[in-house]
This record gives sequence, C-alpha cells and structure tokens, in this order.
Amino acid sequence: MSDEIDITQLETSEIFELIQDDLYDGLADEVVNSVKELLKRGLTPYEVLTKGLVAGMDIVGGDFRDGILFVPEVLMAAKAMKAGMEILRPLLAETGAPQVGTMVIGTVKGDIHDIGKNLVGMMMEGGGFNVVNLGINVDADTFIKAIHEHTPDILGMSALLTTTMPYMGVVINTLKEQGLRDKLVVLVGGAPLNSAFAEEIGADAYCRDAAIAVETAKKLLAIKRGELAG
Amino acid sequence: MANKADHIDDTCQVALMPSGRQGKVKRGTNLLKAAQELGVELESICGGRQTCLKCQVIVEEGHFPKLGVTSSAVHLSPLTSRELELSQNERLEGRRLACAAEVVGDLLITVPEESQARKQIIAKAASDRTIEIDPAVRQVYVEVIPPELGDTRGDWERLVEALEEQWGIKEPAIDIRVLPTLQTALREENFAITLTLWQDKEVLRVQPGYKEGIYGLAIDVGSTTVVAHLCDLRTGEVLATEASMNTQVRYGEDLMSRVSYATSEAQGLARLNRAVILVINDLAEKAAQKAGLVVEDILDVVIVANPVMHHILLGINPKELGGAPFALAVDSALDLKAREIGLSLHPAARLHLLPIIAGHVGADNIAVQIAETPYEQQEITLIVDVGTNAEIVLGNREQILVASSPTGPAFEGAQITHGQRAAPGAVERVRIDPVSLEPRIKIIGYDGWIEPDMADQLPADVRATGICGSGIIEAIAEMYLAGIINANGLFEEACVERSERVRYGSRTGEYVLVDSSLTATGAPIVVNQNDVRAIQLAKAALYAGTKLLMAHRKVERVERVVLAGAFGSFISPLHAMILGLIPDCQLDKVVAVGNAAGDGARFALLNRGLRLKAVELARWVQHISTPLESSFQDEFVAALNIPHARDAFPHLAEILPDTPKNDGGERRRSRFRNRMSN
Repeated sequence: MSDEIDITQLETSEIFELIQDDLYDGLADEVVNSVKELLKRGLTPYEVLTKGLVAGMDIVGGDFRDGILFVPEVLMAAKAMKAGMEILRPLLAETGAPQVGTMVIGTVKGDIHDIGKNLVGMMMEGGGFNVVNLGINVDADTFIKAIHEHTPDILGMSALLTTTMPYMGVVINTLKEQGLRDKLVVLVGGAPLNSAFAEEIGADAYCRDAAIAVETAKKLLAIKRGELAG
Repeated sequence: MANKADHIDDTCQVALMPSGRQGKVKRGTNLLKAAQELGVELESICGGRQTCLKCQVIVEEGHFPKLGVTSSAVHLSPLTSRELELSQNERLEGRRLACAAEVVGDLLITVPEESQARKQIIAKAASDRTIEIDPAVRQVYVEVIPPELGDTRGDWERLVEALEEQWGIKEPAIDIRVLPTLQTALREENFAITLTLWQDKEVLRVQPGYKEGIYGLAIDVGSTTVVAHLCDLRTGEVLATEASMNTQVRYGEDLMSRVSYATSEAQGLARLNRAVILVINDLAEKAAQKAGLVVEDILDVVIVANPVMHHILLGINPKELGGAPFALAVDSALDLKAREIGLSLHPAARLHLLPIIAGHVGADNIAVQIAETPYEQQEITLIVDVGTNAEIVLGNREQILVASSPTGPAFEGAQITHGQRAAPGAVERVRIDPVSLEPRIKIIGYDGWIEPDMADQLPADVRATGICGSGIIEAIAEMYLAGIINANGLFEEACVERSERVRYGSRTGEYVLVDSSLTATGAPIVVNQNDVRAIQLAKAALYAGTKLLMAHRKVERVERVVLAGAFGSFISPLHAMILGLIPDCQLDKVVAVGNAAGDGARFALLNRGLRLKAVELARWVQHISTPLESSFQDEFVAALNIPHARDAFPHLAEILPDTPKNDGGERRRSRFRNRMSN
C-alpha cells in the first residue's frame, strides 16, 4: 500500500500516537505491530498499555460519548484493543504490573438483551479493566457466585426493559445481606434507567453509555481506593 | 435558604396526556396557554372567556414516577365562580376549564379527545379485499306451533322442534339473558320470530316477526391506538370505522411500562383494564351512532391485540410477559360473551379473540397475516408491522417465520428532539435539494409541498409543530442522499460551507429542517446527531431481525415487502429502503397496507372459516427469538450503517451516493480530522 508506514523508522512517541490513531480506525494488525515494536524497544508492558491502548481508547470513548463515533466504529476499536491486549496480558501478569481493576457484568434475570452490555464490557476492557461477562438472564445467585470467584472491584448490571430493571435492586439487596455490597462499586445501565432509579435501588451510579461507564468506573474506584488508603 | 430555593424554582412541570407532551411553565401561567406552549392545542371558540366550555380538561391525582410529577387538583388555582356555577349544574363533571385555571404546581393533565383542537388522524378506512361472507352469527326466521291445551311442552321446546324441522338445527342452547324475552316475542307476531344464532348452536336474540339486520364489531387494540370497524354481517359492508387513543398511555407510554404498572400498583391492572374497556365501549357507541344503530344491535365482536393488551383485556395480570421466558397465560383462540369482559353491547353478544403466537407476537400479528395472506403466496414476502412494538413476518406458503424486534419508540417520534406523533402540524414528508440543501416539506393538515420561503403565502394555522415517524425517516434518508450525513450516520462538517442549515453547536452537527417562520412555536425544527443515532438503532433492530429470519428461511432476498401498521401506511417505501429499514427489493413490490391487523380482525368477523385458519396458522408459523440468536449482534451492528455496512441494494443503484469503501488507505486520517474540530 502506498502510505504503508515503516514503524521501525518512527520515534517512540510517534508510535504511541500511531497506536492511538490505529485504535480509532479499528486497525487490529497495525496496533499489534506497534505494540510489538514498542516492547522490542524495551518499554514496559504497563507503559504500552497505559500510554498506548488505554490512552487511545480514552479518545474513542470521548468521541463515542459526544456522538461522533457510533457503535460499529467503537466495536472495531475495541477489537483492535483486544488484539493488542492479547500480547500484553501475559506480560503484564509476569511483570506484576498494577491492575486497573476487575469488573463482573451481566444482564439481569428476565432480560435477554445484551448488545449494550457487551459494548460496556468491551469499553471497560479498553479502559484496562479485566472484564468477566456473565451474559444474559443472570440471577442474583449467579452474580454472587461470580463475585466470590473473581473478587471484582466493580459490578455492572444491565436491563433493557422497565419490567426487568427492578431485579437490579434484588441483586443489590442480596449483596447487602451477604456483606458484599461495600466491597464493590455497583454500576447500572440500560435504556429505561436513570440516576434517580440507580439511587433508589442503592447502586453507586447510573451510566448512560459505555464511555460514561468507563469514566465513572475509574472515578469511583479512585475515590474508593483513596478512602481505603486514608 | 428555603426562600431562595422557592425563588429559583419558579416553574412547574406540566405533562399532558395523551400526547405525552411535557415541560416547564412559569408558575401562574394560564393552563390553556401552558398547554399551547407545550404544543397541545385545546379547542376554544370563546377565546378563554369561560363561555364555550370546549377546553375542559381532567387533572390526574397522584404521583407519576415515570413523569416525575406529583399532580393534584390543588396545583391549579381555585375554581372560578363561573366554574362553581357550572359544577352545580353538573355541566363540568369534575373537569376544569383550562382557560379558567392557573398553574400553581406540577400537573398531569388529561385532555379528552373532544377538547383537542385538532383530533388525531389514525389509520385509513378499511380496505377492499373480497371476503366470503360467512359470519359466526346469522338470523333465521322460524314459525312455531302455538301451544294447545294438552300440549305440556314449553315454548322453548316447541321452538327447538321448529328449528330442527325448518332449519335442521339440532340441540341449540339459549343465552340465559335472552330466555326471559322468548314468550312475549313469540306472542307478538303470532308465533313467528327471527332468531339470531351463534354458530347455529346458541340463540342470542329473539325478535318478533320477520326482521333483518345483524351487525358486528372488529377491534384492533393497539398499545397506542384502538380501532373499531362496525360491519353489516349480512352484506359485509363497513358501516363505520372509529379510532381512538388507548387511554392506558396515561399509565405508561410503552407496553413494558404498562406491565410494570399492572405489577407494581395495587389497582394497576384494574385501572388498565377499565381504561381499555371504556375505550372499546365508547368506540362501539360512536360507531353505532354513526351507522344509525344502537350498541344493542351488535351481536358479535372479534378482538385482536398484542399479548399484553390481550391479557389486560381479560383481566389477566401481564406480569409474566415482563421478562424471559415471557410465559403466556393462554394462547388459544377464545370464544366468550362480550359482557363477560365488561363490553356494553347486546346482552348476549359473542366475543372471539384470535390466538397468540408467542410471548410478544400476538393475535394482532395473526390478524395481519390473515389480511395479507403470505401463507398463500409463492413469493417470499416480508411483512413489517411497525408499531410501538415491531413484528416481522417472513416466508411464503411453504414456511412462515415470525419475530418481534426491539425497535423502541423512535419511529413514533419519541426520542427524537422534535419528534411527535402523526397529527396535524407534523412534518410527514421531506425532500432535500442535493445542491442547495434546501428542504421542501409536507405538513399533516395541509395539501401540497411547502418551500422554505412560503411562510407568507400559507394560512396562519398551517405551521409545523414537530416531525412524525414518516417525516424523520424521509428526513434522514434525504440527508444521506444530499451528503449532509455519511453512511456512518455522522454529520459531514464540510456541509457547513454549503449551507447555513447545517450548524455545529458543540462537537456534532444539526440540520435545520424547518425555519422558525414556518413553525408553530417560532423556534426552528432541527434534526441533530442524536436523532440520527436513535433512528439508526431502531432501523438496525428491524433490519437485523429481518436478516435473521432470512437466514433461517434460507433466502438471499425478499420478493415482496409489506409495510403494515397505521404508521407503515405513511412510510415512503423508497426512503425506508434508502435508510436500510427494509432489505433490497424491487420498489414496486414494496407496499404500505395501513392497519392490516384491523383488517384481519374484520375478515375474521365476516368469515368464521378464517378464525379456524388463524388457529391453524398460530400453530404452524415458527417463532424466532432474535435476541437469543448468536448472530444478532453482528447483524445489528452491520445494519447500523446507512443503508447497510455489507448488504448491496441493487434496486437503489441509481439513487445511492457512491461511498468509497474503506480499504485501509484512510489510515491515520479520521481521528486527525475529528480532532481538528475539537
């Protein structure tokens, strides 16, 4: 191709820029090549993750939030991100790099819609989170089991129906009964929800879309960790 | 502090039903004016002098969490002396005159249909397909042997004998409400009577002498609209068609919020049930009146409805339909007495409910199929019934598949910045000049195209109030053809150079569809990026559902497309295809049929064989639960593009703009371009 870029000729800072651009355009192979090149140059996997992939997905998220990018473009970006992550994940574990956090996510019992929830999952991965997606029609027991197994920092619940969203409250009450509620940031989302509903059922926040979910997760987690540290 | 808060909140939230319009108005605003400000015009002949009494409204009491409003009669200024006087004469029935009241708190106001200045246009009058007249009820004239001393049999038993002799009808029953009328009727015209029989099994009516005249009602209970056709069951003629809003909307705009209401409110189910029964009774009365009849002349009723409406009508809590696995209480066709569900017709009138296919594909869908007969066709037919809930039917006489699709209410104008229902004032047609980007529009209630500079020539009351479903579909398709938005649905910033109609508020664009000089509010009507996204999501759900059915049915293309539903009849097939709401098809094979569910109900009223056909169909068609299909997400995402990311539209080859396929050559470009606009 005429404008093929030889990345070995670029400055490291330019490659970071390039990763961000290629993520934006959903170019998985190009992202993978750049990640490999940066690692070859001796950068830590954590640096590649934060300055390259996560920074790139931040831009994608912002443009999605503002309506400039739409679902198909974001999915392409998330796929490119995932391709890069597959290289980085084992290296991150080896090097004991700091973890952004883990999220357990699912569509609640009675509800079978999951495209929006999947998008949140992918954007959270884009934000550097480890995401455990429980799928659709998830009851409280399944959520609890997953929380015990994966000890997440964040629980995300989704519902697309007015009739199924109250079940989120059921899950939160179960968390309280089992003494798990305060260990988690609980985020909820879905077309019929709003902030008032989130507050009513005792969730930490309602997230209007996937980009806001990532922002909110990071913000609330930082506060929570600050509290713990303090 | 408290004072300060009071001072800041000098506005009140006012919501108006059934239009769903709501917003803030200044405390102290006259209610008639407040409604006007919110886009709801009330009838007023006297101009607010409390004289014509046309602007009567009902204040709803209670807390309405969906609207965020706690409404109360005391949130209006006290009754005026004129209103007190009228109340004493029982002329207000608890209603208020909007022109006499000031808003002093949050309100939910119901505007009765008779108080609306411009009544809703709903559906078309019934279609004209030929149907064999073979109704479930018929009249027979019988001469009964008068009693004699020594004949100890009852009048009924002698009638039964006469029925067998004269008509070959064996072992009939008689409705318990009708039996008391038998003796008098027999003796009035010398033991000659006309019976009305249901399925030749039950006597529903006894009339003295020879009588002609038997009528029935076909009803489509939609979540937004209820339509009733009053038919002469002897001639098949439609004598009157009446339509009305389903007043349940005050308890929840969409189906699921009504299920929630029925489930969470103590009296919820009873209220929903009463609301729809009242609407049906009211329609029956209006239709009868229009036809010069009385409701007691109606002897048979066929009702079709989606499963939630169906259950509520029968007094069944629709709770189970609120979530997977969407279990129905009953799916069979039902034969009942109309009075058993509270309908006020002839006391013995029968009621037939067509069967249901699945949790979200109801008797209304069966009725659409009865009306459109895809099961008799060789051509692969796609039927898209676009209502608050969309249903898709695909197939031909060999196999038919159905699915419901989570489109959401965007096609009905909800979630659209300046969206509204199809009513006078709504922009319903749009053409955009691809060079100048100037729009021509059609507004419901005015014949003919309106150019941007025509404000002075138009009658003062012809002004746009919003965009309805067909209008938004055409607007977005035309914006795409004109290059204002691209295939991704994104506004093309370069268009700012081409026309002042394309504006950038923040990071995204909007298109001024109607200038302020042509709108009722004096503010321009725009289509913005969020509106485009909302329509993309809705149309992608429909298209993806269609594609899944096509994959199941193993067909590459459809040969005929039927757009059904009150809304469907106003959609331009061309624009629906440009937008990618329906797959590629020969354009003259795409037809809009209007309220096919109502037509199907009417056919089943006129022909009892079709009721059996419906039962057979409900068993035969195959229901596909699209969200559970593994490829749904992929199909959905591909269908978000305009018209589609992958599928070709050869029938639009001459019309669609050339979109350069992204071959990777654009690497590093898109973000820089977008970042520049930050």
